[in-house]
Amino acid sequence: MLNETVAPAENVRSGRRPALRKDGRYASVFLAPSLGGLALFTLFPTAMALAISLFDWPVFGERKFLGFGNYSHLLSDPVFRRVVLNTGLFVALYVPLNVIVSLGLATWLGPKIKGRQAFRVLFFIPVMTPMVANVMVWRLLFQPGGLLDAGLSSWFGIHAPNFLGSSNWAMPAIVAMSIWQGFGYNFLVFSAAIDQVPQSQLESAQIDGAGPFQRFRYVTWPMITPSLFFATTMTLITSFQVFAQPFILTQGGPGVATQTIVMYVYNQGWQFLSMGLASAAGWVLFVIIMGITAIQFVGQRKWVNYDV
Amino acid sequence: MRGTPARARRWLTAAGAVLALTAVAACGGGNGGSSGSGSADKADLTWQFWIGGTADQAAWQKVADQAHVDHSGITVKLQGTDWNNYWSKIGTLLAGGKAPCIIGMQSLRLASYASAMLPLDDLMKKYGLKTEDFDKPIMDGLKADGKQVAIPYDSGPMVIFYNKDLFKAAGVADPKPGWTMAEFEAAAKKLTTGGRTGLVTTPGDLGVTSWVRTLTGAEPLAGGKLNLTDQKFVDGFTTYANFVRTDKIAPQVPSGNSDFETTQFTSGKSAMQLNGPWSLIDTLGKVKFNLGIAPIPAGPDGSKTFTAGSGFGISRSCKTPDAAFQAIMSMTSEKPLTTLAAAGRAYPARTAAHPTWFTAAKIPEAKEVIEYASQNSVPLVTSKNWVQVNDLLTRFGTQALNGEIPPDQALKTIQDQAGSGS
Repeated sequence: MLNETVAPAENVRSGRRPALRKDGRYASVFLAPSLGGLALFTLFPTAMALAISLFDWPVFGERKFLGFGNYSHLLSDPVFRRVVLNTGLFVALYVPLNVIVSLGLATWLGPKIKGRQAFRVLFFIPVMTPMVANVMVWRLLFQPGGLLDAGLSSWFGIHAPNFLGSSNWAMPAIVAMSIWQGFGYNFLVFSAAIDQVPQSQLESAQIDGAGPFQRFRYVTWPMITPSLFFATTMTLITSFQVFAQPFILTQGGPGVATQTIVMYVYNQGWQFLSMGLASAAGWVLFVIIMGITAIQFVGQRKWVNYDV
Repeated sequence: MRGTPARARRWLTAAGAVLALTAVAACGGGNGGSSGSGSADKADLTWQFWIGGTADQAAWQKVADQAHVDHSGITVKLQGTDWNNYWSKIGTLLAGGKAPCIIGMQSLRLASYASAMLPLDDLMKKYGLKTEDFDKPIMDGLKADGKQVAIPYDSGPMVIFYNKDLFKAAGVADPKPGWTMAEFEAAAKKLTTGGRTGLVTTPGDLGVTSWVRTLTGAEPLAGGKLNLTDQKFVDGFTTYANFVRTDKIAPQVPSGNSDFETTQFTSGKSAMQLNGPWSLIDTLGKVKFNLGIAPIPAGPDGSKTFTAGSGFGISRSCKTPDAAFQAIMSMTSEKPLTTLAAAGRAYPARTAAHPTWFTAAKIPEAKEVIEYASQNSVPLVTSKNWVQVNDLLTRFGTQALNGEIPPDQALKTIQDQAGSGS
C-alpha cells in the first residue's frame, strides 16, 4: 500500500519536472528578446544614469567624482525646488481635471446617446494629432494680440491677460491645453468600462427607485474602479513626465514658472551639456514616480473593486 | 536551495556594478576620432550642419560641391539636422571624438564648443587665407582665446527694421544713420497708437545686449566673466525693460516664443524691431508694406551694436585637417557665398559677395545702413555657458519686461544662477 501510494506521487513529480524544465526553457527563449531589450535599453541606461549622477560630468572636459554632490546641489538649488513644485502643481491640477472631464463626458455619452461613436472619434482626435501642431495653435490663441486677446478687445473692449507671459497665468494655460490634448485617451478607457456595466443592474436599481446620481454612485462607480485605477495611475506617471507642452508653449518661463523636472533634465543635459546634474535630476524624478505609484498600489486595496 | 536566490542577488549586484563601472570607464575614453580619411589633397569628408528643409539641403549641397570643384580629390558629404537638435547632436559627437571633420558653428555658441575644435591660424597661414577679405567683426566673433576657430560664411550687425508705411502715416521722418535715442523714443511714442506699438522687443541675448550696449556702453562680459550686475548694464537693461513696462511703446512679451517679435512686426502690429540682416530678405518676402532699415539709435557714445554670425570649423578628431581646411576655403570662397547671397540667404561674411546681396535685398539704404552698423559693431563675445545665460535671460527677462520683477532683480538672479560664466 505504501509503495502504491508513494509511487504515483513520485511518478507525478518525476513526470512533471522535465516538463516544467522544458516549459521554462521555452519561456526563456521567448522572453529572451524582450528581456534583452529591457536590460539593454532600460536597466543599463538607468544604471548608467545612476553612475553618471555621482560625477561632475561635462560633455567636454574633465570628469570628477562628486559622490552625492549633484544631489545636494539640487536640494539646495531654489530653481530645482521650484521646478519640483511646478511639476507637483501640474500633476495636482491636471490629473483630477483630466479624470473629471473624461469621466464626465464618458458618462454623459452613455449607450443611449445618438451619434456617440462620432463623438468618441471627435474627442480622440487631439490625442492623435501631433503635440507640436496642437501647441502651436494654442500659442496663437494665448499670445498677446492672439485670438483670445483680439476677440475680447473687439467685443468687450478689454484685453485678455498675457497668458504665456504671466507667472500666474502660464501654468493654468498649460494645464488647459494639456487637458484638451489628453482627455480623449481616458475618455475611451472610461467609455469602454461604462459599456461593460450590465444594463440589467442599472434597470434593477432604477426600479428600486435609484436616481441617475445614485445609479452612478452605487452601480457604475464600483464596477469601473479597476479602469479608474488604471487610468489614474497611468495619467499620474505621464503627467510627472510632462515636457512637450511647457517646452513648446512657454520654454518653461516666464522665470521658471512652468519649468518641469523633465525640462530641467533636458536643459541640463542637452542644452547646458551637464550630464551629471541631468542624471541626478532624472533619478530624483524616478524616485518620486516610483514612490507615488507604490502608494497608489497600496491604496487601491481600499477603493478598487475587482469582485464584481 | 535557500542560498541560491541570495547568491544570485549577490552575483547580479556584482555584475551590475561591474557593468556600470565598465560603462563609466568606457565613456571616459579618449578622443580616438574616426572622421574623414585620406590626405591633404584626397579625402572623403563629412560636414555636419543645421538644415531647415529640402530647399536648404539643396542650397548647402552646392556649397559642399564647391570643394570638389576646386579640389578633385576632395569630396564633402553634407549631413544635417534642424537647428534645435543640431546642438545636442554635435555636442555628443564632439565629446565622443566621433565628430565629422567639418562642423557648422555659430559665434554665440563658439565658447562652449571651442575646446573640441581645431585652431585654424596655422592652416590659414599655410594656405594663405586672407582675413581682410572677410568682415572683421565676425572674423573676431569666431575666435576663442585669440585663436581663429571657424571661418565665417555670414555676418550680422544688428539693425532696426521699420515699417515705412506706418512712419509715413504718422508723419515721422525715416530714421537715418546717426539718429539719436531721443529721436527714436519720440518716433516710437508717436507710432504707438490705434492698437499698434512703435517697437517690439525680445528678452533674447542679441536684443538685450545690443540695446544695452548702445544705451550705456555696457557689455555682458568683463574680463571673461559675466558682468550682468554691473551698474551700467543694469541701467541699460532697465531703460530697455521700460520700453515695455512703463513707456508702453512695445507690447508685453509672451514666454518662450522667439517668433513673437518677428510676427508682431511682419503683421504690422509694431512699427520697429531689432533684427539681423540674415532675416532681411526673408522678412521682405513676408511683409505687405514698404520695409526700411536703420542703424540702432545712438546713445551717449554713438550707435553701438553687436554682430553675430556663423561659419565652418574643424573638429579635433579630424584625421585630415589640411583637406578639411581646403574644403572650408572653397566653401567660404566668393563663388558659393555669392550664390547664397543671390538666393537671398544670410548677409555674406566675404566682402566681395556684398554687392550681390544688396542687389537681392532691393532696399536702397541697405548698403549704407549695414556698412555703418558693421563699422559700429563688435562681436558679441560669449561665455562657455552662454546657452544657459541666454536661457536665463529669456526666462527672467520676460518677467522684467512685463513688469513682474524689477530689472535689477532679474539680472541678479541670472548672474547668481549662471555664476561667473566661465
